[in-house]
Amino acid sequence: MSFPRVLLTVGFISLFHSAFSAAQHRSYLRITSQEFTTLPLDIVIQAVGSLFAVMWGVMCIAGNLREIQAAAELNNSTWETQMNLPSFYIFNHRQKALSSEYVQTSGKGDLENPE
Amino acid sequence: MSVSLKANDNKPEPIAYSEAALRNNAIVVEYCRTSMSALSGSTAGVLGLTSLNGFAFYMFAVIILWVMFMIKAGPNWPKYYVSRQSILTNGFFGGLFTYVLFWTFIYGMVHVY
Repeated sequence: MSFPRVLLTVGFISLFHSAFSAAQHRSYLRITSQEFTTLPLDIVIQAVGSLFAVMWGVMCIAGNLREIQAAAELNNSTWETQMNLPSFYIFNHRQKALSSEYVQTSGKGDLENPE
Repeated sequence: MSVSLKANDNKPEPIAYSEAALRNNAIVVEYCRTSMSALSGSTAGVLGLTSLNGFAFYMFAVIILWVMFMIKAGPNWPKYYVSRQSILTNGFFGGLFTYVLFWTFIYGMVHVY
Protein backbone atom coordinates (compact mmCIF):
# COMPACT_ATOMS: atom_id res chain seq x y z
CA MET A 1 0.00 0.00 0.00
CA SER A 2 1.36 3.41 -0.92
CA PHE A 3 2.01 6.15 1.60
CA PRO A 4 -1.07 8.35 0.89
CA ARG A 5 -3.39 5.36 1.28
CA VAL A 6 -1.83 4.49 4.63
CA LEU A 7 -2.19 8.13 5.68
CA LEU A 8 -5.84 8.14 4.59
CA THR A 9 -6.68 4.92 6.45
CA VAL A 10 -4.88 5.95 9.64
CA GLY A 11 -6.48 9.40 9.49
CA PHE A 12 -9.98 7.98 9.13
CA ILE A 13 -9.47 5.55 12.02
CA SER A 14 -8.09 8.36 14.16
CA LEU A 15 -11.04 10.60 13.28
CA PHE A 16 -13.50 7.87 14.27
CA HIS A 17 -11.58 7.31 17.46
CA SER A 18 -11.74 10.97 18.39
CA ALA A 19 -15.50 10.93 17.65
CA PHE A 20 -15.93 8.01 20.05
CA SER A 21 -13.79 9.78 22.64
CA ALA A 22 -15.96 12.88 22.37
CA ALA A 23 -19.13 10.82 22.74
CA GLN A 24 -17.72 9.08 25.81
CA HIS A 25 -16.66 12.39 27.31
CA ARG A 26 -20.17 13.66 26.74
CA SER A 27 -21.75 10.63 28.47
CA TYR A 28 -19.29 10.94 31.36
CA LEU A 29 -20.36 14.56 31.84
CA ARG A 30 -24.00 13.48 31.75
CA ILE A 31 -23.47 10.81 34.41
CA THR A 32 -21.57 13.13 36.72
CA SER A 33 -24.12 15.88 35.92
CA GLN A 34 -21.55 18.48 34.93
CA GLU A 35 -22.05 21.25 32.39
CA PHE A 36 -20.44 20.89 28.93
CA THR A 37 -18.07 23.70 28.06
CA THR A 38 -15.34 22.42 25.72
CA LEU A 39 -13.79 19.10 24.84
CA PRO A 40 -10.47 18.08 26.39
CA LEU A 41 -7.50 19.41 24.47
CA ASP A 42 -6.15 15.98 23.44
CA ILE A 43 -9.38 15.09 21.60
CA VAL A 44 -9.34 18.45 19.80
CA ILE A 45 -5.73 17.98 18.72
CA GLN A 46 -6.36 14.42 17.57
CA ALA A 47 -9.44 15.43 15.54
CA VAL A 48 -7.78 18.39 13.82
CA GLY A 49 -4.54 16.47 13.21
CA SER A 50 -6.37 13.54 11.65
CA LEU A 51 -8.37 16.01 9.51
CA PHE A 52 -5.10 17.36 8.11
CA ALA A 53 -3.78 13.85 7.50
CA VAL A 54 -6.91 12.78 5.63
CA MET A 55 -6.95 16.00 3.58
CA TRP A 56 -3.36 15.46 2.51
CA GLY A 57 -4.06 11.81 1.69
CA VAL A 58 -7.11 12.72 -0.40
CA MET A 59 -5.09 15.33 -2.26
CA CYS A 60 -2.38 12.82 -3.12
CA ILE A 61 -4.93 10.25 -4.25
CA ALA A 62 -7.05 12.68 -6.29
CA GLY A 63 -4.62 12.51 -9.19
CA ASN A 64 -1.74 14.37 -10.74
CA LEU A 65 -2.05 17.90 -11.98
CA ARG A 66 -1.25 18.33 -15.65
CA GLU A 67 0.59 21.25 -17.14
CA ILE A 68 -1.94 23.60 -18.66
CA GLN A 69 0.22 25.12 -21.40
CA ALA A 70 -0.74 23.66 -24.75
CA ALA A 71 2.84 23.09 -25.86
CA ALA A 72 3.99 21.47 -22.60
CA GLU A 73 3.12 17.91 -23.55
CA LEU A 74 4.24 18.27 -27.16
CA ASN A 75 7.67 19.37 -25.99
CA ASN A 76 8.30 16.03 -24.36
CA SER A 77 7.47 13.84 -27.37
CA THR A 78 10.36 12.53 -29.45
CA TRP A 79 11.17 12.92 -33.13
CA GLU A 80 10.02 9.36 -33.85
CA THR A 81 6.58 10.12 -32.40
CA GLN A 82 6.21 13.37 -34.30
CA MET A 83 7.29 11.91 -37.65
CA ASN A 84 5.17 8.78 -37.48
CA LEU A 85 3.08 9.11 -40.63
CA PRO A 86 1.11 5.93 -41.34
CA SER A 87 0.14 7.11 -44.82
CA PHE A 88 3.74 6.82 -45.95
CA TYR A 89 4.35 3.27 -44.71
CA ILE A 90 5.80 1.04 -47.48
CA PHE A 91 5.37 -2.70 -47.26
CA ASN A 92 6.38 -3.76 -50.75
CA HIS A 93 9.64 -2.41 -51.99
CA ARG A 94 11.81 -3.38 -54.92
CA GLN A 95 14.88 -3.60 -52.77
CA LYS A 96 13.90 -7.07 -51.55
CA ALA A 97 15.01 -8.36 -54.95
CA LEU A 98 18.59 -7.70 -53.86
CA SER A 99 18.27 -10.11 -50.91
CA SER A 100 20.08 -13.43 -51.17
CA GLU A 101 16.95 -15.30 -49.93
CA TYR A 102 14.71 -13.79 -52.57
CA VAL A 103 12.60 -16.22 -54.58
CA GLN A 104 11.32 -14.80 -57.78
CA THR A 105 7.65 -15.25 -58.51
CA SER A 106 6.26 -15.33 -61.99
CA GLY A 107 5.05 -11.81 -62.22
CA LYS A 108 1.41 -10.93 -62.38
CA GLY A 109 0.12 -14.50 -62.73
CA ASP A 110 0.20 -15.17 -58.99
CA LEU A 111 -1.97 -12.20 -58.28
CA GLU A 112 -4.56 -13.04 -60.91
CA ASN A 113 -4.87 -16.78 -60.25
CA PRO A 114 -4.52 -17.43 -56.55
CA GLU A 115 -4.74 -21.13 -55.58
CA MET B 1 0.52 55.82 -35.91
CA SER B 2 3.82 54.65 -34.63
CA VAL B 3 2.62 55.11 -31.06
CA SER B 4 -0.30 52.74 -31.60
CA LEU B 5 1.99 50.19 -33.21
CA LYS B 6 4.27 50.39 -30.23
CA ALA B 7 1.33 49.85 -27.87
CA ASN B 8 0.44 46.74 -29.83
CA ASP B 9 3.96 45.46 -29.54
CA ASN B 10 3.93 45.90 -25.78
CA LYS B 11 0.96 43.60 -25.34
CA PRO B 12 1.92 40.29 -23.76
CA GLU B 13 1.83 37.38 -26.12
CA PRO B 14 -1.37 35.34 -25.71
CA ILE B 15 -0.77 31.99 -24.02
CA ALA B 16 -2.41 28.89 -25.42
CA TYR B 17 -3.81 26.62 -22.72
CA SER B 18 -4.57 22.98 -23.17
CA GLU B 19 -8.30 22.43 -22.69
CA ALA B 20 -7.96 18.85 -21.51
CA ALA B 21 -5.28 19.69 -18.95
CA LEU B 22 -7.34 22.59 -17.59
CA ARG B 23 -10.37 20.35 -17.19
CA ASN B 24 -8.29 17.63 -15.54
CA ASN B 25 -6.90 20.10 -13.00
CA ALA B 26 -10.37 21.52 -12.29
CA ILE B 27 -11.66 17.99 -11.62
CA VAL B 28 -8.80 17.30 -9.19
CA VAL B 29 -9.43 20.56 -7.34
CA GLU B 30 -13.18 19.91 -7.18
CA TYR B 31 -12.64 16.39 -5.83
CA CYS B 32 -10.34 17.63 -3.08
CA ARG B 33 -12.69 20.46 -2.21
CA THR B 34 -15.74 18.20 -1.84
CA SER B 35 -13.79 15.73 0.30
CA MET B 36 -12.42 18.58 2.39
CA SER B 37 -15.94 19.96 2.99
CA ALA B 38 -17.27 16.60 4.13
CA LEU B 39 -14.26 15.84 6.34
CA SER B 40 -14.01 19.26 7.97
CA GLY B 41 -17.78 19.14 8.57
CA SER B 42 -17.34 15.84 10.37
CA THR B 43 -14.49 17.26 12.42
CA ALA B 44 -16.53 20.34 13.36
CA GLY B 45 -19.33 18.01 14.47
CA VAL B 46 -16.93 15.96 16.58
CA LEU B 47 -15.52 19.10 18.17
CA GLY B 48 -19.05 20.26 18.98
CA LEU B 49 -18.72 23.68 17.39
CA THR B 50 -21.85 25.80 17.35
CA SER B 51 -22.99 28.91 15.46
CA LEU B 52 -20.27 31.19 14.09
CA ASN B 53 -17.40 29.04 15.36
CA GLY B 54 -18.41 26.37 12.85
CA PHE B 55 -18.32 28.80 9.94
CA ALA B 56 -14.97 30.12 11.10
CA PHE B 57 -13.72 26.53 11.12
CA TYR B 58 -14.92 26.14 7.52
CA MET B 59 -12.95 29.23 6.50
CA PHE B 60 -9.94 27.79 8.30
CA ALA B 61 -10.28 24.47 6.44
CA VAL B 62 -10.64 26.20 3.06
CA ILE B 63 -7.47 28.19 3.66
CA ILE B 64 -5.59 25.08 4.80
CA LEU B 65 -6.64 23.27 1.62
CA TRP B 66 -5.46 26.21 -0.46
CA VAL B 67 -2.11 26.21 1.32
CA MET B 68 -1.84 22.46 0.66
CA PHE B 69 -2.47 23.03 -3.05
CA MET B 70 0.21 25.68 -3.11
CA ILE B 71 2.65 23.37 -1.35
CA LYS B 72 1.87 20.58 -3.81
CA ALA B 73 2.30 22.79 -6.89
CA GLY B 74 5.42 24.42 -5.49
CA PRO B 75 6.96 27.65 -6.73
CA ASN B 76 6.07 26.99 -10.37
CA TRP B 77 2.29 27.05 -9.81
CA PRO B 78 1.57 28.99 -13.07
CA LYS B 79 2.35 25.75 -14.87
CA TYR B 80 -0.73 24.14 -13.33
CA TYR B 81 -3.25 26.89 -12.49
CA VAL B 82 -4.39 29.98 -14.35
CA SER B 83 -4.83 31.92 -11.12
CA ARG B 84 -4.28 31.22 -7.44
CA GLN B 85 -7.25 33.20 -6.19
CA SER B 86 -9.74 31.15 -8.17
CA ILE B 87 -8.64 28.00 -6.32
CA LEU B 88 -9.40 29.73 -3.04
CA THR B 89 -12.84 31.03 -4.01
CA ASN B 90 -14.23 28.56 -6.58
CA GLY B 91 -17.10 26.49 -5.25
CA PHE B 92 -17.00 28.15 -1.83
CA PHE B 93 -20.74 28.07 -1.20
CA GLY B 94 -21.28 24.68 -2.80
CA GLY B 95 -18.76 23.29 -0.35
CA LEU B 96 -20.40 25.18 2.50
CA PHE B 97 -23.66 23.26 2.03
CA THR B 98 -21.85 19.93 2.12
CA TYR B 99 -20.04 21.15 5.21
CA VAL B 100 -23.23 22.11 7.05
CA LEU B 101 -24.82 18.76 6.18
CA PHE B 102 -21.97 16.76 7.71
CA TRP B 103 -21.55 19.18 10.60
CA THR B 104 -25.15 18.85 11.77
CA PHE B 105 -25.19 15.09 11.19
CA ILE B 106 -22.02 14.30 13.15
CA TYR B 107 -22.90 16.83 15.85
CA GLY B 108 -26.18 15.01 16.33
CA MET B 109 -24.48 11.60 16.39
CA VAL B 110 -21.75 12.57 18.87
CA HIS B 111 -23.18 15.25 21.11
CA VAL B 112 -26.95 14.86 21.13
CA TYR B 113 -27.49 11.08 21.24
